[in-house]
Amino acid sequence: MTPSDHALELCSLSRSFVLKRGLFRAPGEIKAVDNVTLRVAKGETLGLVGESGCGKSTLAKMLLGLLAPSSGKVLLHGEEIDPGQRRARARQIQPIFQDPYSSLNPRRTVADIVGVPLRIHQVGSLAEQQRTVRDMLDLVGMPERTHRQYPNQLSGGQRQRVAIARALVLRPDILVCDEPTSALDVSVQAQILNLLMDLKAEFGLTYFFISHDLGVVEHLVDRVAVMHRGAIVELRTREQVFARPEHPYTRALLASALTPEPGLGIPEIKTHEGIAA
Amino acid sequence: MSLLLDVKNLSVDLPTERGLLHAVRGIDFQVRRGEMLCLVGESGCGKSMTSLALMGLLPRKAQRRADHLRFDGVDLQGLPEREMNALRGARIAMIFQEPMTSLNPSYTLGDQLCEALRSHRNVSAAQARERAVHLLERTGVPQAADRLRQYPHQLSGGLRQRVMIAMALMCGPDLIIADEPTTALDVTIQAQILRLIRELQREFGTAVVFITHDLGVVARIADRVAVMYAGEIVETAPVAELFARPSHPYTRGLLNCIPVRGKTLPGRRLRAIPGVVPSLIGPVSGCAFANRCAEVREACAQTPPLVQLTAQHAARCVAIRPSHVFPEATA
Repeated sequence: MTPSDHALELCSLSRSFVLKRGLFRAPGEIKAVDNVTLRVAKGETLGLVGESGCGKSTLAKMLLGLLAPSSGKVLLHGEEIDPGQRRARARQIQPIFQDPYSSLNPRRTVADIVGVPLRIHQVGSLAEQQRTVRDMLDLVGMPERTHRQYPNQLSGGQRQRVAIARALVLRPDILVCDEPTSALDVSVQAQILNLLMDLKAEFGLTYFFISHDLGVVEHLVDRVAVMHRGAIVELRTREQVFARPEHPYTRALLASALTPEPGLGIPEIKTHEGIAA
Repeated sequence: MSLLLDVKNLSVDLPTERGLLHAVRGIDFQVRRGEMLCLVGESGCGKSMTSLALMGLLPRKAQRRADHLRFDGVDLQGLPEREMNALRGARIAMIFQEPMTSLNPSYTLGDQLCEALRSHRNVSAAQARERAVHLLERTGVPQAADRLRQYPHQLSGGLRQRVMIAMALMCGPDLIIADEPTTALDVTIQAQILRLIRELQREFGTAVVFITHDLGVVARIADRVAVMYAGEIVETAPVAELFARPSHPYTRGLLNCIPVRGKTLPGRRLRAIPGVVPSLIGPVSGCAFANRCAEVREACAQTPPLVQLTAQHAARCVAIRPSHVFPEATA
């Protein structure tokens, strides 16, 4: 595979945070992301799983250029984008966040929210922008009457559709989805997952899909990266990870997932180093 | 098993700026001693309001109505506040979703655990401490005796929830209401806490009303399940029966729309339930699920009847015809 076949490359990416521990103790250091190397091919969906505090979201922020790495670099289509070129990066990679309640501006209408990226990037005339916004909202399943509404008039699922439309309106080819359905009810989650699968087929998107829900991950991704304490402990295809998990942490994660099958009882998870409280 | 909790025709209305919100709309359910009943439903279905209504902890403006709310034979509705206070925390305890917000940050764990017992029982401080240490040990908190001096912020989320469970058990309650107790936790911790709740429930013979939105949790922990939608219980059944023969279209839709390992084919479209939950503000008539239901018919405009499928299994839907689906139900 030539380098340009990779939509996204993380090369020895690390990020640490300084931890102040009071006046008389030396400050500590937390390695939130520790020497992560990953490649995501064009059109691939890579799933990143791990528990809270494992560094998933710190990693996502570095991909999006919202946080500078302590060391290492992020390549988009084989090219490093310097931090000053936020706009160039925004045209290639866009986020969808977990909480559609806090990620939409409450004072703007739906059409406004989706139009902002076009205005900032000065794409086309006003009429063209309006048409693009309408088409994009149509594509994510937002009916015409909702375009003039405000976020507080929408359901959680509708808000997440708006967030997806906003992410896609500049036609990036990589989406970083950080727990995109965790805040939604299950009946709505299925709608959004279907939409993400449809959009991927339509635009040939590459997904960097972060989730703690292994059922969702198994349904959506091609490869799985398991993150534990800032490091990737396992990175293999979906079939391999789910059929023959290698790392003890991956096995604990899989064993803890409760599928809706009565009679199986609650798995006993051994408290061993680094896994449980 | 004898009946511990008997709820008949419970409704909760909340006044809002846009009108009266019918959060709970005439539900009936029963809990036997030592039984684990799961109330499952999506956000806004009224499951939390139901638990607050039982505890008498509804927001001040909320209106609670019921034919009866019998706990161990006594109707909680007529109970004076003093007697309700005596019950609450002692015979009916509650575990909430976020232990950080339900533990007091400015008191030590020991203070809070002992207070739970000493405000209800005439015991010495030393006896209360002894029981606190015993229950912390039993709930898997390491170095239990030292923990009594710690504050909630010094504990991880999983440990805090163990402390909450220990606190709920301090007075040896007959009933624990657990409202999404593991939703804020990581999956490996969740499994541990669920195991703990299940073990303690069996060991102490405590009845539990377990409120959750997660059907995976329901399948693994419940004895019986009540599925709630838009303020109503639309289906009740023993857990194995519910998952084997889900009868209400909403229950079936819920079970169909989650990807399950080994059952759903990766990458295939999921069978989503179209549309959104209806607003419960203002009058609600007929079946609340009708606007999302694939089997909708004219009769859905009327209040759907409760169809008894078996002695233990009932669903509220006009499309179900027990004599056809389950011949044994008519016997």
